[in-house]
Amino acid sequence: MSLQFLADGLVAGATIGLGAVGVTLTYSILRFANFAYGEFISWGCYLTLLLAGAIGAWAGASASPLGALSIGPNVLAAGLLGMALTGFLAIGLDALLFRRLRRHFSSITTVIASFGASMALRAALEALFSSRPVYFSQELQIAIRVGPFRITPDQVALLGLAVLLAGALQLLLTRTDAGRSMRAVSENPTLARIVGIDVAGVIRLTWFVGGALACASGVMLGLVVQIRPTMGSELLLPLFAAAILGGIGSVPGALLGGVIVGLAEAATVQLVGAEWRAGVAFVVLIVVLLLRPAGLFGQTA
Amino acid sequence: MTHAPAILRVEDLQAGYEPGAPIVRGVSIEARPGEIVAILGPNGAGKSTLVKAIAGTVPIESGAVTLEGRNLTATAAHRMAEGGLAFVPQTDNVFTTLSITDNLTLAAHGLSAAQRRARLAAIFALFPDLGRQPSLAAGRLSGGQRQMLAVARALIVLPKALLLDEPSAGLSPKVVAELFAKLVEIRDSGVCIVLVEQNVRAALAVADRLYVLVEGRNRLEGSKCDLLGDPEIASLYLGGGRRASVGATP
Repeated sequence: MSLQFLADGLVAGATIGLGAVGVTLTYSILRFANFAYGEFISWGCYLTLLLAGAIGAWAGASASPLGALSIGPNVLAAGLLGMALTGFLAIGLDALLFRRLRRHFSSITTVIASFGASMALRAALEALFSSRPVYFSQELQIAIRVGPFRITPDQVALLGLAVLLAGALQLLLTRTDAGRSMRAVSENPTLARIVGIDVAGVIRLTWFVGGALACASGVMLGLVVQIRPTMGSELLLPLFAAAILGGIGSVPGALLGGVIVGLAEAATVQLVGAEWRAGVAFVVLIVVLLLRPAGLFGQTA
Repeated sequence: MTHAPAILRVEDLQAGYEPGAPIVRGVSIEARPGEIVAILGPNGAGKSTLVKAIAGTVPIESGAVTLEGRNLTATAAHRMAEGGLAFVPQTDNVFTTLSITDNLTLAAHGLSAAQRRARLAAIFALFPDLGRQPSLAAGRLSGGQRQMLAVARALIVLPKALLLDEPSAGLSPKVVAELFAKLVEIRDSGVCIVLVEQNVRAALAVADRLYVLVEGRNRLEGSKCDLLGDPEIASLYLGGGRRASVGATP
């Protein structure tokens, strides 16, 4: 039996894991399931694509592939800018919609509003870019053999990027005032206010970080698959499955949950059939909710 | 007991959770540096709502809160600590998933690294139990240790006034005695303490002055000595002839 699904699953899992970290952060601090999160992934990817094109046109040489990778420095620079822009997009959506609803209505109203926002954002992408797939690069990549696995240089770079971003986020949460404040607001927003934390500022930071991670996840997905307006919404269920599997609020849990969901999907494609892939996240979600509702790293109330 | 002028003044405060339905109805209190002021009253008197309103977590409809002459009435709760006013809620008053040190440093986010180290050292000197295991998650502490941590966290920014909402709730008499001994130490350092308590004996043991609220309004006020002789206090709280024992131990 080929073990290739392990390598494929790890790359897919890293993409899902990064997105799941964003989901778990916003869920635990804002206390609602944001179904528009998938659109941050799509918007982040398209914004990065636009910026990469603009940077490439402005500084032509930067669009040449970097070493063995299929992309040039323009995509890397665009990715950083795209993360910031998607962060601001998330803050903007909160200011426009969710903040007002949080003040006056229950979280279920906000969840339903996030469905509406998701549809509007996706429709806007389709209107702007059409539903035709586009790509960061048309360069062909030769997979390299690492032991029993075949993996492309892009995939290796993406795994490294995922580890780097997850490590940076873990440092932010555990070693900085901003991160400690985010954890405090997640646990008890009223007490956080009493001890002097600007909860509104923490909420803005959470949206920003969540949006930036969504963009990173979207760019990873766009690099290994293709860029389409529905790419984010199609990833939403695996993201929630991973976040719940890891335990809502747990960053390492969301990453591990992402890897497990990614591996399960890849194993299913290889061992059962590609048509079953979409159902795997459902199965994982149901099994976790039945056996361990608080997830792997979650705490029961 | 101090004779300095009051630094915390609450004037004709009206506050409640719902607009137009005040629970606190025109309460006025004041507290001087280096004194413990106890707010007593039956259940539903509005004692907790009063301190929450002073701390900015319950909306104020009218009246004023000033600290050292600065008006804090419209100040957001998260700005109170930097304004010199710290509050320890009755329950859920520590972050259980954060370590002792993280709980303390969270409240000290406006200080430089050197100032934080100095304040942490001072806090651990005052609460040696906390200093012995600073990286322990607060959720693993006992009820008494959590209450100590909550008070320690409130003190880290050197507040002028410290508000406590029923700090003895759920604690054993021994732990209450230890906690209230700490409050006396804190008072003696010059901080003014406003204490809401159901445990009247413990509060009377440490309080310098008392306010009694009934149905959201001031009913009685005065020094402990004055009020202990008041027949209403005696009948309400002390069961008549047991007055003489109050003040010895919490």
